[in-house]
Amino acid sequence: MIEQWAPIVIFGAMSALLIGLSLVVVTARSVFRGAIALAAALGVAAGLFALLGADFVAAGQLLIYVGGIMIIMLFVIMLSQRPLAKLDRQANDQWLWAALFSLAVTCGLIVQFRAVYRGVFFNPEAAPTSASIGRLLLGDMIVPFEAVSLVLLAALVGAVYFGLGKEES
Amino acid sequence: MFELGPILSKAFATLSGWVIAHGVPAMGAWIINKSIQVGALVLGVSLVPMVLVYAERKVSAFMQARLGPMNVGPYGIFQTLADGVKLIFKEDVIPIGSDRILHVLAPMVACAPAFVCFAPVPFGKGLVPINLDIGVIFIFAVSGITTIGVLMAGWGSGNKFSMLGGIRGAAQIVSYEIPRVLSVVPVLMFYGTQSLQGIAMAQTGRWHGFLPKWFIFYPVIGQIAFLIFLIASVAETNRVPFDIPEAESELVAGFHTEFSGLKFALFFLAEYAYVFLSSAMAAALFFGGGDGFSAGGIIPSWLWFLGKTFAIVFLFLWFRWTFPRLRVDRLMQFCWQFLLPWSLANIAFAGLAVLLRS
Repeated sequence: MIEQWAPIVIFGAMSALLIGLSLVVVTARSVFRGAIALAAALGVAAGLFALLGADFVAAGQLLIYVGGIMIIMLFVIMLSQRPLAKLDRQANDQWLWAALFSLAVTCGLIVQFRAVYRGVFFNPEAAPTSASIGRLLLGDMIVPFEAVSLVLLAALVGAVYFGLGKEES
Repeated sequence: MFELGPILSKAFATLSGWVIAHGVPAMGAWIINKSIQVGALVLGVSLVPMVLVYAERKVSAFMQARLGPMNVGPYGIFQTLADGVKLIFKEDVIPIGSDRILHVLAPMVACAPAFVCFAPVPFGKGLVPINLDIGVIFIFAVSGITTIGVLMAGWGSGNKFSMLGGIRGAAQIVSYEIPRVLSVVPVLMFYGTQSLQGIAMAQTGRWHGFLPKWFIFYPVIGQIAFLIFLIASVAETNRVPFDIPEAESELVAGFHTEFSGLKFALFFLAEYAYVFLSSAMAAALFFGGGDGFSAGGIIPSWLWFLGKTFAIVFLFLWFRWTFPRLRVDRLMQFCWQFLLPWSLANIAFAGLAVLLRS
């Protein structure tokens, strides 16, 4: 019995935390607090991946989003914002329509996901996934995988180009 | 002889059998067992920094021809305990200009991941808390959260020194994380697993009957990987010669300037826990974990593991009292123009070696 409801309770708690943190991200007046809440929300999302048995994706989520992208984002906020300037409103007069639109999109996604992922449930037994992900990336998916790395390379070269141009002028 | 792994697993099996016989479901028995294990691990990880602080003070004293702490207990061994009591009773100051929530949360966010990171560390044969298949990546991923605590401390204190320390810390840790992760990739390529226990177990055996099959003894590849891992680990733990986030002659104390009492102690706990974690990782990845020189000898594997770990911890302490601090731009230059290309080249060497071997 305890085996059955324990994952549901954990999933419910984590989802509630995720939704709460996401609300903080869009409503917090201090940009830095919002970014911290976003980092926490991404960490909770990693927990949801772990609950599904996708251990490599969970670790990658933490490593890349929380440990990489969010830190760069916080770094930019620290360099560009005045400390404790928390008087900016985070919404304009259109917030009601935006909220309604988001709600509609959420409902549509829920309906679609319920149709597609019917019967998919927590499966911690799927856990050691890194070997199969590696085989997939260097086997069937090798062309998209390499194409994505080329796109990243182009983005890097572009960033270097713009960075250099600014310095010269 | 004296192996802790089999004894502990037998003890936990007995405990869960006894609990189940008294009407607790199997899941409940599992939770009780895991709670005891987690409690023991957290207690052990919180005690290690106390030992390391004492070791640091003694090592620094001997390197400078002093005696170090001598008054509290024989040879001053209770000095850290006295310091801890002092820190507990200090006033908890929260500056007026600070962001209260971030200021209070920052030490916790910096300290909590340090405990989680010890979950996949193999302390000996059969002494791994959880044998995670993604062990190495898990440690890198979870330890990255500490940087967010450093940034929260830098921003939340409302102080320019804290802010500068936080910015420097973020830039340094994000930069050195890359060569640190890449330096481990050759190890993963050679042993074909990310589980720390699997890597440590794969390094048992001897070449020509005497040289242990540890990764450090693979010609060229092993030594380059270990050197890059060691240098990047020293930078990741913000220790001299890479301590510019808290450089006391430039920034008062960097990101933890405004912290006092136990909150300050938590930052130190995190730093020393990470020193121990990096050493334990190096012992498992490059020095064969619990593998001893004499196979089946009288010294148990957990003692071998702790011995190797503390030997590498001594390297960390030695560096701190030997090298001067690097300048900020030199630090970045060293990471991006020296460590990163060599770690990439090392991955290429390792790929070539694996290709030739198969």
